[in-house]
Amino acid sequence: MTASTTPRPVPVLAPARRAGRARRRTAAGEAHRLLPAPLLAAVTVTLCAMVLAPTLYIVLASLNTDVGVASGEFWPRAFSLDSYSRIWTTADLATGLLNSMLVCALVAVASALLGTITAYVLVRYTFTGRLTILRGLVGLQSIPGTLMLLPVFVLFSSAGNYLGLTVVGTRWGLFLAYLTFALPFSTWVMVTYLRGLPRELEEAGRMDGASTLRILFRIIVPLSLPAIVVSGIFAFLLGWNDVLFASVLTRPETQTAAVALSAFGATQEGGAIPVYSQVMAAALISAAPVVLLYLAFQRYLVGGLTAGGVK
Amino acid sequence: MGRRRMRAVVAVAGAVTLAAGLGACGGGDEGGGGGAGKTLNVLIGANTQYPQEFRAWQKSIADRFKAQTGATVEFEEFATANDELTKIQTSVVSGAGPDVYAVGTTLTPTAYSTGAFVKLDDERWQKVGGKERFVPATLGISGPDQQNQVGVPFVSRPFVMAYNTELLRAAGISRPATTWDELREHAKQLTKGDQYGLAVAYKDNFDPWKFVWGMSVQAGNPLVDGRTARLQDPIVRQAYQTYFGWVTTDKVVDPAAIGWTNSQAIAEFAEGKTGYMALTSTTAAKALDDGAVKGKWSFALLPTVPPGAASRPATGVEAASILSGDNLLVADYSDNQDLAFEFVKMATEQDTQLDYYKAVGNLPANAAALQTLQSDPKLAPVAQAAQKSVATPFTGAWADIQLAMTNVVVQSIPDLSKGSVSDAQLDGRLADAQKSAQSALDRAK
Amino acid sequence: MTEQSTTRTRRRGVTEQQRPLWLLTPGGLLMTLIILVPLLLAVYISLIDLDQYTLRRWLDAPFIGLRNFTEAFESGLPRSIWISVSFAVISTAATVPFGIAAAVATQNAFRGRALVRAVFLIPYVLPSFVVATVWRTMLQPDGIVNTMLAKVGVDGALWLSGPTSFWTLILVEIWAAWPFIYLMALAGLQSVDGEVHEASAIDGANWWPKLTHVILPYLRGPVLLACLLATLHHINNFTLPYVLFGAPAPDDVNVMPMIVYVTSFQGLRFGLSAAMAIVSLLLIAIPLFAYLRALRLDVHEDGGRK
Repeated sequence: MTASTTPRPVPVLAPARRAGRARRRTAAGEAHRLLPAPLLAAVTVTLCAMVLAPTLYIVLASLNTDVGVASGEFWPRAFSLDSYSRIWTTADLATGLLNSMLVCALVAVASALLGTITAYVLVRYTFTGRLTILRGLVGLQSIPGTLMLLPVFVLFSSAGNYLGLTVVGTRWGLFLAYLTFALPFSTWVMVTYLRGLPRELEEAGRMDGASTLRILFRIIVPLSLPAIVVSGIFAFLLGWNDVLFASVLTRPETQTAAVALSAFGATQEGGAIPVYSQVMAAALISAAPVVLLYLAFQRYLVGGLTAGGVK
Repeated sequence: MGRRRMRAVVAVAGAVTLAAGLGACGGGDEGGGGGAGKTLNVLIGANTQYPQEFRAWQKSIADRFKAQTGATVEFEEFATANDELTKIQTSVVSGAGPDVYAVGTTLTPTAYSTGAFVKLDDERWQKVGGKERFVPATLGISGPDQQNQVGVPFVSRPFVMAYNTELLRAAGISRPATTWDELREHAKQLTKGDQYGLAVAYKDNFDPWKFVWGMSVQAGNPLVDGRTARLQDPIVRQAYQTYFGWVTTDKVVDPAAIGWTNSQAIAEFAEGKTGYMALTSTTAAKALDDGAVKGKWSFALLPTVPPGAASRPATGVEAASILSGDNLLVADYSDNQDLAFEFVKMATEQDTQLDYYKAVGNLPANAAALQTLQSDPKLAPVAQAAQKSVATPFTGAWADIQLAMTNVVVQSIPDLSKGSVSDAQLDGRLADAQKSAQSALDRAK
Repeated sequence: MTEQSTTRTRRRGVTEQQRPLWLLTPGGLLMTLIILVPLLLAVYISLIDLDQYTLRRWLDAPFIGLRNFTEAFESGLPRSIWISVSFAVISTAATVPFGIAAAVATQNAFRGRALVRAVFLIPYVLPSFVVATVWRTMLQPDGIVNTMLAKVGVDGALWLSGPTSFWTLILVEIWAAWPFIYLMALAGLQSVDGEVHEASAIDGANWWPKLTHVILPYLRGPVLLACLLATLHHINNFTLPYVLFGAPAPDDVNVMPMIVYVTSFQGLRFGLSAAMAIVSLLLIAIPLFAYLRALRLDVHEDGGRK
């Protein structure tokens, strides 16, 4: 049995693969299969169809005219790429996308890392108030955004008025807000994941005299990459899709893609047709970076413990 | 491992760069010192129909203002009326924000009630060019009374009907309807085959109450009498019944209209198979010209005689449209009030107003500018509507009253689809609307 | 609890004493400053008469104690909360099978898997208001959904008004939110040790028993957490119902965030809406903590699976 007789390709695993496993790859490949092939196909096709049907409508609508979409056409009577060129001038989409990418990427990284650190302390150590903090983090996530908008704005603008720190209208302010809102969730994702990590590795590290930070970055982070990627994605999307806070905390130069996108949905009383086709085109353009980023990072979603190196 | 660390380093470097760039991104307009070097922040609604022309107009007025005063004008756009309202709230509570607001007329009473905008006394009116400069009707919603005005009329967007000239001619109708009953008759004549007489947007959040208001005011019920709401009234009931009747009993409207927003109704009319578009304004002109109905449509004044009558009663008002458009308001937390008023003066000059009209199609509030447009036959009904506009009641409670009136329609939609709204159901909903409208008025200070 | 931890401390040795609690400060500082302080402010706002008339000098707004809260109860808030909660619970329950199925299906490699994974993410990536606009257009009385249904002979309903609107909201929310469960389940599946797979292969387990008895228990933690967070998110989801139905919304879908938003941002009654939001927060937090305790999600499990 050599590796070349593997019936199906084994997923690309993180570097620390042990040679021993290669010998048993055939059996391992079979053993790892979760669903029989026909069922797998059926499930995948159904789910894809479910997702792609309305998505197809979005794509078709973006290739239609505004009037056409407004009158409820599914298949455009006249195809046109007009919308894709108009969206850049109707609202400042380019600036919006740039700002969003910047802020959300930073939020994703910062939130995942801070969440890992916080989760590590909460999972591996006991201290008074640990349970309260854990429960509190969940509680914090149940606070509706509409309740927080005005108070957060007052807080930020007071910093500007009384401390001379201009926060409102800067990307920095938006970053802080999004980071804080994403933290409870990131922390909990890491808590759930870290709890399943065996302690032996850290013990080994500590035995070698490593400091906590070293253990964190050398051992924990690589092992929990899947969860880090997931919590990073969520944090990214939280910032990417938020309209409420972005609309009050930004100025035209620092506005995000979500704010620019909402400008497309602008409705004026009694008259103009909303530029539906452009909305769809802009939505697709705004979704593209996230999907591309996901495609780039999704390989880290495999691996972790299955990479071996435990013993 | 190395890759990961590099990423972390890049991220930190990025953060540091951002922080360094922090100083450049401040939103400050607090300027001490002389006239030059100051920035005036103006909040204005985004225009998705003519974005490039709109920006060009912004640039031209900013250049002229700079040449005249040395100050820079920065425009900030909002997407919907709700967004503007949110902006007003956050600015009022923090005492910092745009200096000049372009506020829709229906929102002006709400903005006024915050007490955060500068009241125009005679001196200030002179600063912006004097009251005589404006179409008299447009001043109707600048304030609760002559002594307490905050709004300077900027543009006029009166509501009108649109009709398909070809279809009306084919049916032998010589001129569009001037009474609601006549409109119904015309619509019945025009409904045949796959053609419908009337396009109405029942599911729109802004259209329905305008019909009810119009019919009620024309019959003598202004809906708000001092501090009393008069929604539970036979006149109002008849207005709703007429409005519902178009789709239930008269059947002159496409049954799908109970799910339409205004833009869908316009799209329907633009296909060329509908006789009348019941409620629209000049902002729809572009959409209509993009559709099959191009060259075959025209504006007309909305009926001014209440349903069930052949002529207006003595107490009725000739309300062809709600007073609709934008006012310019100056925030009283602004440090640049004098500059702001200069800007307002410039924005309401005849030339600027005509430029704005050419750019985005909104009618001028400047009387002289409007006069020059009277000669355009296409615009004549709209200019007439502007002059015959009547203001909605000026109270901070109006937003709630509007919601209550719309809610009657929203809750009736299932009944509309089943074919009829009974008197009992309507009365129940009117009672609810009366209650919430009255409690909103009671709270008004 | 203390008994256990002392034993553990003694067992683990001296390293447990060096608790790096200082690591909690950055996160803690941020959350205290940007969430807790505004929250306290919001509580204060709920106790004063803050509306458009008093907004200007909000520090001087009259203190009216619990009057906002009593008005909140009389204004239809309890009914809205009930609608919100039932909507959230049903939506979450319905998304779980989809999420788990998708995670299980994409766990093993196949050609094009990366693409399929990206496709699965699309509903979650699209902004809420785009999703709502698209579905609202499709669900019009003469829209594509009813047209297709007519082709198979089914009478299309009035999706966006009346009693059906509640189910429409659930339907659209399911479409938009199932990838969340999918992602969490996917992360959970990664923690399944390779040896577990091999062990069950040696045992000769068929795919169904292996899936249900061996693999799915690993997903318990992540998926239950995902359910909790997803329910919270559905309860607080404002954009979807707002864009789908507009305001005022049909009675059957007058969910809690809508009523809070309309009161606050359109009615400009900040005191009242803050009170409403706090009431709903309390009403939701209590079952939440009960759920947490019942599932022992917060309890220190011993690490590692043997």
